[in-house]
Order: sequence, then structure tokens, then C-alpha cells
Amino acid sequence: MIRFDKVTKIYSDNTYAARDLSLHIRPAEFVSIVGQSGTGKTTLAKMVIAEERPSKGRVIIGSWDITAVRSADIPVLRRQVGMVFQDFKLLPKKTVYENVAFALEVCGVNQGHINRIVPQVLKVVGLNEKRDKFPHQLSGGQRQRVAIGRALVHRPKVLVADEPTGNLDTINAQEIIELLLKINTLGTTIMLVTHNKDIVNRLRKRVISIDDGTIVSDQQSGKYII
Amino acid sequence: MLITVYRTSKFAFQNVWRNLWLSIITIFILTLTLLTTSLVATLNIVADQAVQAVEEKINIDIYFKPEVDEQDVITAQVWLQSIPEVKSVRYVSRDEALEKFKASHANNPNIAAALAELTDNPLPASLVIQAYALQDYAVITQQFEASQYDTLVQDKNFSDHQLVIERLSSIIRRLYQGALVVSLIFIIISVIMMFNTVRVAIYAHREELGIMKLVGATNWFVRAPFILEGLVYALVSSSIAMVLLWITMAAATPYVNNFFTGYNFSLSLFFQEHFWYIFAFQVVVSIVLAVGSSMLSIGRYLRV
Ligand SMILES: Nc1ncnc2c1ncn2[C@@H]1O[C@H](COP(=O)(O)OP(=O)(O)O)[C@@H](O)[C@H]1O
Ligand SMILES: [Mg+2]
Repeated sequence: MIRFDKVTKIYSDNTYAARDLSLHIRPAEFVSIVGQSGTGKTTLAKMVIAEERPSKGRVIIGSWDITAVRSADIPVLRRQVGMVFQDFKLLPKKTVYENVAFALEVCGVNQGHINRIVPQVLKVVGLNEKRDKFPHQLSGGQRQRVAIGRALVHRPKVLVADEPTGNLDTINAQEIIELLLKINTLGTTIMLVTHNKDIVNRLRKRVISIDDGTIVSDQQSGKYII
Repeated sequence: MLITVYRTSKFAFQNVWRNLWLSIITIFILTLTLLTTSLVATLNIVADQAVQAVEEKINIDIYFKPEVDEQDVITAQVWLQSIPEVKSVRYVSRDEALEKFKASHANNPNIAAALAELTDNPLPASLVIQAYALQDYAVITQQFEASQYDTLVQDKNFSDHQLVIERLSSIIRRLYQGALVVSLIFIIISVIMMFNTVRVAIYAHREELGIMKLVGATNWFVRAPFILEGLVYALVSSSIAMVLLWITMAAATPYVNNFFTGYNFSLSLFFQEHFWYIFAFQVVVSIVLAVGSSMLSIGRYLRV
């Protein structure tokens, strides 16, 4: 589902964020990407949604080689790959419902469809009764659930989560991980970027450890080793 | 599709509304730009028409001595008509000249009285020559003076109209050049202004735009509001410019018409006849300016 083929990423100031890196994530897999900060995890995630392009090598999503994807095709890709971040990226002046609906509105989806999908998604992320609250009226965990809900509206095949629990306390973090697991059981491939040791160790899923832009270990039922 | 247009327009109008002062200044600058460019375009057309109107009035009058026979005058007329530069030669007989003179001074009792005392017609017969082009008059005069007919002539006049034309052309040329410079300056200012206004709008919405791109909004959906914003500015300012132009025309008409009394030219008539042309011209200019600079700004600041 996600394939990196000998990918090297060099930023304009000559920093290497990936060095000849290859990996393959299969459909419906749940993979954690771990490593110290500054080792290139976010760069990997950004390459999956074509926010960054590899300097060398190829990136393939499904059967689509997005290495040199045209900017006009990026919206198509972004509807197939959802992404959430540590800082949620919600619109503060929109309610929970509106934040989720926004993702459909800006893609030209008609109102009837929006009215049907948004409540479904809010139910999946467990926020149906908070639909008219604004982000500042929610806990961090709830905000992240709104962001996940928004990432799900296009029914993406892949969900990339870059440190989704980075701003959350242990309990909230655990809730988010459980939500990701639930979404995974519904068939979505999950790429979870994190450096939370407890979470990774408890997950007992595949773990890829990265250091200085290279994969240092890839274990099927892994532990956080660095 | 319709829902997309609606959502985009809403977004665009919000941009205009939220930065109201910036919008007002942008519209103001754009309006000034339109007024000056219309002035340039109008002067260009008016200059031609005005010069043409004056040119129509230009001719050479050749007055024959009173003792010259009508037959000789007609021979001279036929000879003149054979010169290629000559467009027309009209014969004005002594009687016709007197009739005209009486008619044009009919409401002056002194002249009427003086004329009534005359037994003899004091006015000479004349030929009125029109050339195809302004510069031909010199050639025609030269040829005539070299001919045998020159001895029959009492008086010729020509030069006074040439002065009018030269003065008129130079005034219009100077106005045109001034307006051109001013309008170029305004065009530059308004491009910078629009560019900046859209930049501010993009900056104000950077969060929203980032999320739009993240969730898969198409590039056009992201850009459209800002292009539409340019369109709103274009339409509003060309409408304002049109109203201002109307008022200016109404105020200037008496003076301009006064200047052209007796000539076949009217400013207000010109404006009325060309209203839709001018409006279309302004809409096109403002759209090119506003939407163009908005696109420049989008290309520069809105990475999609
Ligand atoms: N846009 C950028 N320009 C230049 N260097 C960057 C940029 N983004 C990240 N980097 C550098 O690339 C390396 C990897 O960064 P990142 O992928 O964010 O790592 P991580 O997510 O693991 O902390 C770091 O050294 C970082 O400073
Ligand atoms: Mg990171």
C-alpha cells in the first residue's frame, strides 16, 4: 500500500532526512514509525501525501507512483491518504461539525452527501454529542478525534498520523491509539509516527525504527528499541 | 458545480468585507487607474475627431476682382479642379455672397441699413477650394500663384485656420502625453496594490488554505476565491469610474462644446454614443489588471 524504493531526501540546505531508504507497508497494516526527533520521520510522512518530493528513489501509494505527481493530481492523492498532526490543525472559528464538513465542502461535495457522511464520521470518532462545540471547548484528545474524523471523510485507504499523541496526556493518548486501531480494523492502513515508548510497546504491531534517515530495525511485533 | 460557485463566492466576498479598508483603497486606486486610462483612450479618439472637424472647415477662399467676368472665374474653377490635390471647388457668385452676408447679419440693424443704401453689390465673386489633405493647401496655393489666373485675384485667405489646427493638435497631444504618463503610473500602483491586497487575503487565510490543501481541495477551488476577489474589485471600480466619468462629462461638456462652436463635434454626444464601448473597455482593463495581479500574487504566495 505504501512503498518507498531507495528514497533519499536532501533538503535545500543539504540536510539529509532520508538515505537510500526502502520500506513496504501492506494494505490494512498498522505500522509504527519510531525514532529520535530530527531523524526524518515527519519527512517520510510528508512524502506519502506529496508535500515533499524525494530527491532520489520512488514513492508508490497503492499502485500509483507519486514520485513526480503533478500538482493537479495532488488533491486526488490527498483524498485517498488522510493525515493528522500533533497540533490538530482545526479551524478555531468552526464547530466540530463544521470542521469535519469543511473537508467535504472544499472538495465540491454536495450538501446532501455532507449531511449524511459527517454524522457517521462523528459517530466513529465518538463525538456526536460534541458536534456544536468549538475546538477551544474540547480536551486535547477530543480535538485530535475531530482531526481524525476530518481525515476520514473521504474514506481514505491510508491514514498517516504524525505524533498524534504528542500533545496529549497518557489517558487521552491511549484513547487516540484505540481509535486508530478501530479505524484499522475497518480496513484502513495506518502509518503511526511516534516516539512514545509505552504506546509502541503495548501495541504489539509492526515497528520500523529510523535513525539519521535510515531504517535500523523493522520488527513484526516490535518494541521501541532506541 | 453550482454549490462550488456559491461557496467560492462566499469566501471571496468575505475577503473583500473583512479587510474593508484595504478593499476600499484598492477600489479607489483601481477607479483612478480606469479614469486615467479612459481619458487616454478618449483623448486618442477625440483628438482625431476634433482635428477632423476643424479640417472640414478649412479651405482657401479666392476673391476675384469685381471687374472679372463670371466666365473667367468658371474657367479658373475648371482649371483648379484638374489639380489632383483638389477635392472640390465651389463657385460663390457675387449675388450669392451678398445673400449670405445679409443672412448672417440679419439681426444687426446698422448693417442692414447700410446695405439698403447701396445700389451696387460691393462683394466679390469667389472660389472656395477644399483639398484632400492639410498639407496640400500649400501646393495648391503655389500652383495657383504660378498660373495666369492669379492676376484676376483681389484677395486670398488661408492661414488663420492652420493656426487653430496646430494649437488644437498641440494641446491635445500634450494632454494625451500627460494622461498617458499618469495612467501608466496608476496602472503600476494598482497592480502593486492588488498584488498586495490578495497577499494580505492569502495571509489572513493561510490556516484555512493549508487545511483545504491537506484535505484534497482542488487547486482551482483554492485559487478561485482570490481570482473572484479580483473580479469583484474590477466590476465595482469600473462601475464607479463610469458614474464619475458621466458626471465629469456632464460638467465639462459646455466648455468643450464652446471650444468647438460651429464645428461638427459634441463631447456629450460622443460619450452617449460610446457609453457601452467605454464601459466594456473599462471592464476589460480592470479585469486584466485586477485578476492578472491577483493571479501573480497567487502564484507567488499560494503554493498549491
Ligand atoms: N523544510 C525543511 N528544510 C530543511 N531541513 C528540514 C526541513 N524539514 C526538516 N528538515 C530537517 O530534516 C531532518 C529530519 O526532519 P524531520 O523529518 O522533521 O524529523 P522528525 O520528524 O523525525 O523529527 C531534520 O534534521 C530537520 O532539521
Ligand atoms: Mg516530526
